[in-house]
Order: sequence, then C-alpha cells, then structure tokens
Amino acid sequence: MNLRSILSVGPTLWGIGIFLVILGGSAPWIPGFLLTLVTGLLIWATLAYSLNLITGLVGYVSFGHVVFMAFGGYALAFGVGALNLHPVVGVALGAAVGLALALGIGLVTLRFRGVYFAIATLVIAVAALYIVLDIEELGDGKGIILNPAVEPLSVFYTILVTLAIEVGVTYAITHGRIGYGIRSIKGDEDAANTLGINAARIKLFVYALSGLFAGAAGGVYAWNVSGAFPYSSFSLTFSLQMLAMIVIGGMGTLLGPLIGTVAVYLPSQVFLTIPLLSGLQFTVIGLVVIIIALFVPGGIVGTLRKYIPEFRGMLE
Amino acid sequence: MTRVLEVSQVHKYFGGVRAVQGVSLAVQEGNVIGLIGPNGSGKSTLLNLIAGVMKPTKGRISLDGQRIDGWPAHRIVEQGIAKTHQIPKPFLAMTCRENVAVAAMFGSNKQKDQSEALETAGRVLTLVGLEGKADSISSNLTVQERKRLEFARVLGTGARILLLDEIFAGLSPEELRDAIGMFTQVQKEVGFGALVVEHVMRAVLTVSGHVVVIEEGTKIADGSPREVVENPAVIEAYLGAEAVHAPT
Amino acid sequence: MADAALFLSDLALGVLLGCVFAVIAHGLNLIWGVAKVVNVAHGEFIMLGAYGAYFLNLWFGFNPLLSIPFDAAIGLGVGVLFYFGFLHRELRGKESMDLQSEMVTLVSTFGLSLVLINTAQKLWTPDNVGIPWSPGYVVFGPVQLPLGGLYVAIVSVSIIALSHVFLSKTYLGNAIRAHSQDIPAAQLVGINPTITASIGTAVGFGITMVGGALLTVWLPTGIFPAMGNLYAPISFVIVVLGGPGKMWGSLVGGLTLGVIINVGQLFLGNNLSLAEAAAFLILIPVLLLRPEGILR
Repeated sequence: MNLRSILSVGPTLWGIGIFLVILGGSAPWIPGFLLTLVTGLLIWATLAYSLNLITGLVGYVSFGHVVFMAFGGYALAFGVGALNLHPVVGVALGAAVGLALALGIGLVTLRFRGVYFAIATLVIAVAALYIVLDIEELGDGKGIILNPAVEPLSVFYTILVTLAIEVGVTYAITHGRIGYGIRSIKGDEDAANTLGINAARIKLFVYALSGLFAGAAGGVYAWNVSGAFPYSSFSLTFSLQMLAMIVIGGMGTLLGPLIGTVAVYLPSQVFLTIPLLSGLQFTVIGLVVIIIALFVPGGIVGTLRKYIPEFRGMLE
Repeated sequence: MTRVLEVSQVHKYFGGVRAVQGVSLAVQEGNVIGLIGPNGSGKSTLLNLIAGVMKPTKGRISLDGQRIDGWPAHRIVEQGIAKTHQIPKPFLAMTCRENVAVAAMFGSNKQKDQSEALETAGRVLTLVGLEGKADSISSNLTVQERKRLEFARVLGTGARILLLDEIFAGLSPEELRDAIGMFTQVQKEVGFGALVVEHVMRAVLTVSGHVVVIEEGTKIADGSPREVVENPAVIEAYLGAEAVHAPT
Repeated sequence: MADAALFLSDLALGVLLGCVFAVIAHGLNLIWGVAKVVNVAHGEFIMLGAYGAYFLNLWFGFNPLLSIPFDAAIGLGVGVLFYFGFLHRELRGKESMDLQSEMVTLVSTFGLSLVLINTAQKLWTPDNVGIPWSPGYVVFGPVQLPLGGLYVAIVSVSIIALSHVFLSKTYLGNAIRAHSQDIPAAQLVGINPTITASIGTAVGFGITMVGGALLTVWLPTGIFPAMGNLYAPISFVIVVLGGPGKMWGSLVGGLTLGVIINVGQLFLGNNLSLAEAAAFLILIPVLLLRPEGILR
C-alpha cells in the first residue's frame, strides 16, 4: 500500500482514526471515572462493529453474538487465572477462541437463512450457557474471579487498539474485491452463487472475523470486571444491545456502529445514575429500535446520507 | 479450443415427481441451442442442474470431457458456464455497472482489479444497450431492463457457455424485435455458445441454429428450427392433438 | 426395577411438561404460519400471560385455569394491535415476505421485547413471584403425577386440537389457511388478506397468553419479567422441530423437548443443565436434515 492509497481512504475512516488517536493521546490525563466510561464505550463499540460485520454487511441477523463475547471472557479469565498469562495475551486468547468458535458455529449455522439463522444462533447461545454451567474448569457455574489489580490505562489501550484494527478491517473488506462479494451476498445470495461467488466461504470468513473481535472484546470486558460469570456473561441482553447499537447507528455502514454505540451507551449510563429513570434505559432503547426499524431504515448514518446530499460522499 | 457442454441421460426427481427424465444434449461454443417445451416440462430444472443450482439425481454433465455434475454453482461459473435467472435477480442496492463488475470479478475470468472489472462492465453494458443506465441503481430499472442486466451479468462473467432462462419473456413485439437483434449481434461479436430456454417461439426459432424440445421431462424432438416446428409430436405437445393438422 | 419406575415417572413428567411447552409455542406457530412472521417478543407475551394469571390470583383468588378466558381476551386484543402496529406495513400488498421485511420484523419485535421486559421490571420489580396453587397428586402405579400439571396438559392438548378444528373446519379457519399458503390465490377467491392475517395473529396472541397462564402451574416461583428469555427460545425450537404452520407440529415439538429434558437427564448423569442444552441443540440437526420439520 503506497502513501497515496493511504491518503485516499476517505473522510469517514480519517475521522474515526483521528478520533481514536486523540482519545489515545489524551487518555493519561482523563480523570478515572471518565476513563472507565470511555473504556466501556470502546468495548461496546468493538462489539457493535463485530456484529456489524455479519449482520450489517452480510445481512445475517444474529441473536446469539454474546456467545463469542462470553467465551472470549472465559478464555481470558481462565488464561489469566489458571495459566498466569498476561491479560493482553489473555485478550489474544479470547480472540482466538472467538475465531475458532465462529468457524465451528458458522460452518453449520450459516447454511440457514433469515430467521432460521437468527434462531439457530440464539439457541446456541442459550445452550452454551447450560454447557458452561457444567464445566468444572470454568468455575462450575459460579464463574472465575480474578485478582482485581487492574491497570485502567492498559485496559483502555488494549481495547482502543483492538477497535482501531477492527475498523480498519471493516474498511478493508468493504472496499476490496471481497466487498463486492459481500454486498452481492447481502443483495441476493442465489444470484451471487451463480455469478461465481463462493458465498459459503465469504460468509464464513466474515463470521470468523466477527467472532474474533467479539472474543477479544469479551476478553477485555472480563479483564475490566475482573472475572467471568455465567449468567451475566451469557446474558442475551448483550446480544440485543449490540443489535440495538447497529440498528440505531446504521447497519452495514462504517460509521454507524460507533454512532450507535454512543447513542445507546452514553444515555444508558446517564439513566443509571438517576434513580427514577434507572432501569428504563432499555425501554427507551427498545422504543427507538422499534421506530427506527419500522420507519427509518438505515439508522442515523443512512438517514443523514439520504437527506443531506453533501454527506453522501463523506459518510460511509 | 472450442468448448463443449455435454448433458447425457440426466434425471432429476423431487420426491415422487420426475421433473427431468433422461435428457441428453450438447452445446458447443459459438452455437445457440434452443430448448423449448410446454409449461412445467422441466426446462428450467435442466438449466438449474447444469448450472449447479441443483444436483441431478442421476446422469452425467461434462464440460470438455470433465464431469461437472454435482459441483456447486460458483465452481461451474469458474469453469465457464453461467446462467441467468428466470425472474431477474439484480443486486438492488448496486448500480448496473457494479452488478456486472461483480460478475467480471468473480466469474470465469476473475478480474482481480476493480477498475478493470468496472471497465469490462461498462463495455458489456454498451453491448446490451444499457450504457445509459450504467450508473443507475438497479432497483430503478424496468422489467425489460432487468432482463438485459441479467444477460449483461452472464456476459460479464466471461463464460463461454451461457444458459439463458426466458430472457425474451414479457416483451412487447417491438421490444422483442430489438432484443432479438441485440442478442444476435452480441452473440456474433462474443461468440459464446448458449442454451436458450424460451416460451416465445418466434425468438427461439430466430436465434437458435438447433432446437431441442422436451415434454414432461423427456426429449421428444431435436433438429433445426424448421424441422422442429413441422414435427407432429411437437405440435401436439404445444397445441393439443386437434391442432396437428393446422400448423401455424 | 427402581430404575424403570424412575424412567416411567420422568417420561410421564416429560410428557406433561411437553404439553405445556407445546401450548406456549403454539401461538408463535400460528403467527409464523399465517403471517410468515417470527415474533421475537413472543416470550414477553408468555410473560404477560403469566402475570395476568398472577394478578387474577392475587386480586380475586383465581387459580391459573380460571384466568384462561381473561388472558385469551386480552391476547386477542393485543394481537390485533400488534398486527397493525408491526406487521401490516410489511405485509400489505405483498405476495410473500421478502428477506428485507423479515429483517424489519425481526428487529422491530426485538425492540418490543426490550420495551416489555424493562417496563415490566419497572412496574413489577425484577423479582420472582408465583401462584400458590397445588391441587395435589394422582398416583398411577409407580408414577406420581401432579394434578395441576395433568389439568394443564389436558387443556393444552384441547387448545391445540380446537385450533386444528378451527383451521380445518370453519370458514374463517379455511380462509386463514388459504391465505397462509397462497396470498394472491386467496385474494382471487375473495379472502381479505388484512382481515385474515390480523385475526390469525390475534388468535395466536390469545393462545400465547393463555399458554403463559398455564405455564404458571409449573412455576411455583418462576414468574418474572425476563422469563421470556428462556421460554422464547424453547418456543422457537419447538416450532422449527414441528414445522412452522403445522398445528400438530407444536405438540410433536413440545413433547420432544419435554421428554428430552426430563428423560435426558437420566442418561446424562442426572445433569439437568446438559439435558437442557441437548434439548436446545436438537434444533441444529433437525434444521440440517429436515428443514421442513419432523412432521411431513
């Protein structure tokens, strides 16, 4: 890749890149509570981008994405707790576990289309919880508790780098030749096959990437909360929250997942601090999701592109 | 080398329904073969079997002597055989140019370079007369234009044997005349071989050098267009027994 | 001998549980079959049905069986609202559901599920409640069965049988079936697609909420706002196992699940969680080998 092609990546990628660099550069001076908030935001953004790969780009709605996050978390907890690995290595382990799981699950479930894929992934996520409850090495239903000596800045930089790589990967696979393949599969999988696209392989590739990043994010999440616990790790709410983020931000876009994460995560945190509203954040998110799904296809980014022509060339 | 697609004794059963029963035919690069028959006679199924959309129950399909039956659709295209869809299936979110570029990138020629593929797409769209629509989103096309785009995409794959499923259906007489003219010219220029499934008799008899007729999954006639229309079995299959003595 | 008795009683319990599973999935089955829509918020309507039974018991001392007509009436009303709120725009004027609309309904009903769970948590707290009703046991040889479960099983099977009769013997039922098979053809013979689909959806919701009420008999303390997160996946599996739109499919799928969970643990070292995992994962081989469901 020469300098010129690096410069020509377009304003959206530049914007996200500059945002992340500024965030990274100022992190040491960000006060503790705010750093925690931003770290949480980045973890969720990584998860949203991960779901965006398979659901936004390829068009396969997954209700069970939490499974990669949860096993990524368990991988870190096990690696750090039982094997004494460095947490960053634990995150890499989480990513590897997410990748391997996605390959295995994808090989079977990606044969199903539409609702059948959604249901199959949901069911696997539910079943996975029951299986984990029974694995002795993974805490036998009680989970794994880690020593909470967490260095907030290391957690922050790990997730920042993970997210940056993920956004770069999303950009790369949507702009290369494979991007045409992915868009074709989303458009009409049968037609894609009859034009020479190996849809099964491309879907599996994207799903594997998606599992990898969700696994890494799950690892960072477990590191951040010092442990992995079955009922909270496998909570379907996580899957649903990721989905809400990309629906609101704009499915299949490069900027949408980030916008969606900000739009869902920050208000949720604010709601949590107000006793009267605490617990109602998901009611509001749910209402927004309903309205967007029914009346505003394309989410925030899609709508901006549609109604403001100047944004069309800039936002993707 | 001239490429040859050979279909021999191919059968396809859906549970108890025998959709195709022992059909054999051959298509050579450069030749256009018409495949006609009444509704539900198994024409589209046969194309799907060749294109790898479905697997034959038994029988043999080969390209230049190599067996390809049972291969997945995308590998068949890589080998140089591409099929249109009876109901056009454009990628609705893409422009026409992108639709065809996908075919160029992933089809038989596998043009890895995006800008080259987009150029190829532009040339192909000009061939089929869609150059004016190259940068329109394909969801804005009319039915007739979608049919042309479908044809452009198989051309874009660079395949040497095309399987064309009713690309002339639903056109007005003038549109049909234009479409036939366009097809004949493109065929001369590109020199592909084609198996053309068609309801519109006039179209199929004009464009093909050889016609195969199937009824209820079996081949009932085979010959030049002239021979076929005069064949009593064919007339009976199409128009019923009473019409045998009053051919059009 | 003791093992055989244990097996028999687990099998019998599995069958009873399977019947109630069948009825909670049945409403989803009906909506899936008629409107070709998968309601992701299905579990939340089971939850609402269960709370309906709970409050009727709390206020008037009704047992769960008595709450059936009330839940059914509320369900019918909610179903009509749901149809016009969520489905009508996507289904109107279409011959079949395309992938795009499928995505819209999946996502919008998922939003609805978030709203319902969290509003319920705010209104009724996230804590578990239950209905104190246990009419005792009945003993058949070595097998001891809870009477409540038996009543519920009888009602469940009756509901499924009645819905089968409704769909195959009544004019409206036939119209719904015709609509679910071929919308343009149904329209040609004078069937109004909106009326048929909305009634079908309403009946589906009525049955779902009744299912929630019946389920409470099995849940002495298991009624809570997020309970749908468990019963929705169970319902999805059951409908896919039986085949969407096949009325007896719910019963076949429900019994399969109930028996796997109850008898399965005998073979999995008395391990309930593995048996439950197996009951969910059975979906995968069925989808691979018989995508149209177990029933032909």
